[in-house]
Amino acid sequence: MKEDDDPALVQRCRAGDRRAFERLFERYQRPVFNAALRMLRNPQDALDVAQTTFLKAFEHLADYDPSFKFYSWIYRIAVNESLNALGSRRPFQELDDDEPDGTPGPEREAEGEQTRGEIEAALMRLSPELRIVIVLRHLMQLSYQDMGEILELPEKTVKSRLYSARQLLRQQLLRRGTV
Amino acid sequence: MPEPDPLALIQAELDGQLDPQQRAELARRLLADPEARAMREDLQRLRAMLDGLEKVEPPAELKASVLSALPIAAAPGRTLWPAARWRYAALIAGVLGAASLVYETVDGPGESGELAGTMAARRTLTLDRVVLGAGPVSGNVRLYRDAGGLGLAFELASSAPVDVVVVSSGHTLRVNGVVTAGSAGRIKKVALPAPGMGGRRAVDLTFLISGREVARATLTPPEGR
Repeated sequence: MKEDDDPALVQRCRAGDRRAFERLFERYQRPVFNAALRMLRNPQDALDVAQTTFLKAFEHLADYDPSFKFYSWIYRIAVNESLNALGSRRPFQELDDDEPDGTPGPEREAEGEQTRGEIEAALMRLSPELRIVIVLRHLMQLSYQDMGEILELPEKTVKSRLYSARQLLRQQLLRRGTV
Repeated sequence: MPEPDPLALIQAELDGQLDPQQRAELARRLLADPEARAMREDLQRLRAMLDGLEKVEPPAELKASVLSALPIAAAPGRTLWPAARWRYAALIAGVLGAASLVYETVDGPGESGELAGTMAARRTLTLDRVVLGAGPVSGNVRLYRDAGGLGLAFELASSAPVDVVVVSSGHTLRVNGVVTAGSAGRIKKVALPAPGMGGRRAVDLTFLISGREVARATLTPPEGR
């Protein structure tokens, strides 16, 4: 076990080394925040989810089973917090800004920027269960096995959801001429 | 044995999950099926777009808020750090504060102003008041008690958005947007957590602009209130 790898940092953290948790935070703040951002599409909500994720991880570190990967564990917390945040949104927030208005503002003038906006909007039109598999696979580049661990689903189900999610995205983007 | 679905083969290919035999099968199917070829191209473009979605840097506020909520020296875990839940619950409540804790009045003439929340009909007792004069933030802050408990009323003005960190009875709350564009003349109210037994009763306020401290103040309720 290397001094700076996750299991060593977790061990040090459990022994009361606050700096070890800071290292884990530095390592995972970016993926956790970005995953929440892609799930929620709102930076303030993503910030709240990321904060809760790390503070919950710290508080429950004693419950963490080291036979699992640390990142699977913390991503699972982030996924659950994101789904909770989505669940507590009022319906109009869920639909907010989903439909592009067809008249790109100055910030969306560049074609690439517009395409990005369309993909983000298409992602938000997927159900949270399908959106999360896209986020885990394409944003976080996780394997089916890791995704299964995080979502507590069999790999077969993960694969099936991923395929469905991509097909739905493809259909949406084809209608808009994006792919 | 039924032939594998070309779509499943294409999807597995996207994830690098094909063995040589499946790869050969896919090549054969693509050669014979223009629709499958088009679908593969679409999905490859989709993958490239998804993989290319920009990753953003988390705001510095994330690090500041998480690390400031950790205990100075203690092992994590429920049994060893019972205060942690309080701390982060208070912190999150503070950050989320705008949704549930902040009651805003529109140009309210003091206590009898038109409250947007459910506190309109409640009698309010001012316990302490501080005036901020020269500096980037001006106005006043009142510590009050009403039927809902202790609270703070901010009536401030500034040329830039102002956040406030409130430390009260061992709880820390960050209240974002106490002053925002167009909020001049408005009163923002924040309910405080119930005070614990004993301990310091004073409420310490740190005013921040762009994360930088610009002023401090302390409000103290009189004994017995």
